[in-house]
Amino acid sequence: MKELDLLILGAGPAGMAAAIEAAKAGIQVTVLDDDARPGGQIYRQFQAGFRVTDATALGHDYERGQELLKEFDTVADRVQFLDDAVVWGIAPECEVDFLRQGESRSVRYRQLVIAVGAYDRPVPFPGWTLPGVFTAGGAQRLIKMQRVLPGERILLAGTGPLQLAIANQIVDAGGKVEAIAEAGNIDKWMSLARGAWGQWTLIADAWRYWSGIRKAGIPLWREHIILEARGDGHVEEAVVAQVDADWRPVRGTDRTLAVDTVCIGYGFIPSVELTRLAGCAHRYDPLLGGWIPTRGEDMESTVSQVYVAGDCGGVAGSFVAIEEGRLAGIAAARTLGALAADEARRRMGPSRDRLAGLLRLRQTLDEISRPRPGLYELAKDDTIVCRCEEITLGEIKAALADDLQDLNELKRATRTGMGNCQGRMCGPALQEIVARVKGVPAAEIEPLRPRPPIRPIPMTALAGHAELA
Amino acid sequence: MENRRAEKGVVRGRQFEIEVDGRKIPAYEGETIGAALTAAGVRTLRRTAKHHHPRGMYCGIGLCYECAMVINGVPNTRVCQTLATPGCRVETQDGLGQWEGER
Repeated sequence: MKELDLLILGAGPAGMAAAIEAAKAGIQVTVLDDDARPGGQIYRQFQAGFRVTDATALGHDYERGQELLKEFDTVADRVQFLDDAVVWGIAPECEVDFLRQGESRSVRYRQLVIAVGAYDRPVPFPGWTLPGVFTAGGAQRLIKMQRVLPGERILLAGTGPLQLAIANQIVDAGGKVEAIAEAGNIDKWMSLARGAWGQWTLIADAWRYWSGIRKAGIPLWREHIILEARGDGHVEEAVVAQVDADWRPVRGTDRTLAVDTVCIGYGFIPSVELTRLAGCAHRYDPLLGGWIPTRGEDMESTVSQVYVAGDCGGVAGSFVAIEEGRLAGIAAARTLGALAADEARRRMGPSRDRLAGLLRLRQTLDEISRPRPGLYELAKDDTIVCRCEEITLGEIKAALADDLQDLNELKRATRTGMGNCQGRMCGPALQEIVARVKGVPAAEIEPLRPRPPIRPIPMTALAGHAELA
Repeated sequence: MENRRAEKGVVRGRQFEIEVDGRKIPAYEGETIGAALTAAGVRTLRRTAKHHHPRGMYCGIGLCYECAMVINGVPNTRVCQTLATPGCRVETQDGLGQWEGER
């Protein structure tokens, strides 16, 4: 089977940065991504057909993305980019399996960088399956890269600065935000200013977002959470209420808002299916999004050929992802013998400095956006928790009464987590819900075990599975 | 209905039509089917197998499979990831979906 020196999974900020550094060191790199073009969620590029006439109208992430993409272009002769590749498995003996253009292929690697990012934290609450309820990230992708508004009267509900960014993007695109429900205590955000000292680009962004929502006259409801979305076949109204410090609703503060769209943004969950399939050790860290792979300072996992960079190693955003990607790329090049130890150390210096500078900010942001206990108490017994298999909280509780020990037993008993999303949408909430029913810390509940194929792939493709030519 | 397509910052490519449950709606080169449907105000993309509940776009990045529709006869196609092409046939998926010609 073909053996690649360095295989990188994901072409977002971390994957691109890893490819850039390894290629600069003389390594031939192969990058797989399920999109048509590199960029990842944050630096996603427009599809052919769209022509950008005014980059400044598209926001600062777009312009920052262009810089990294340009750098990625400079090493194009050493980088093989395979688009539209959905990775569905990692086998022992350093083998990656993926689906591309309807065909399943496998390839071996000497070194692997997993940089597959994160996704919006799914939060079950009554009405969250109604058409018109989007994740904040999904809505943002529609607005940014398709230039289509998700609806006409929009409620943003969640926590953290990203909500302010999206509100601005909606207004810039000509849309209307009815309100922003921020679950956290914004007064505490002021501590952010101290944590962000020196991170002037981020401070400037934050300031622009604040001014933007003031100017647009968007109500910002502090310490408010969405309790329910209602409507006949689609969202017609939303119920929000004030919450206490644990994000539990305060009685008598409910209010109903006529909206057709709700965007939910309670932070992100690292995508760890691939690091778990690869056999990397993980630990549970609610501040960084739940289960995350254990890593050393060169971004090495506990499996010797596998590095992990960016949000899939713990959610920290694109600035951190880029630096982690660079470290992983340099370290992989060193392991492959392309860089001497001193030279690798020298090249890692600037990234290490920048990561140290971002650390305090990262800690402050983590603390602010940490989900509080009330978030996973919104679902009622008849609320769907597993969207794919349509399993309610009541059914899950009933199954748990039968002395099940972990999510995998729950899966066998109820089919929860067995559907097309492979537990990505229900797993994070189940971790917390099951822990509470069992009365143990969430870290003690074994998560859903990923089983290949971790993405739905046609049987016809599997039947023709072959090595990468 | 207001225009849900923002004009600022970009120029769109060629316009064409796609067919949604027999009805024609506009789409542009480079647009996903999901975006064209959203712009046209179409929200229910499938009905679930067990309770026959309506579902629409949710995660928007290809992971949740809530936006699975039958595209040109192929069920379980995620419209958030699939680009619109001139004349493509889009059908609301019922349950697990059926391949064309399947009984």
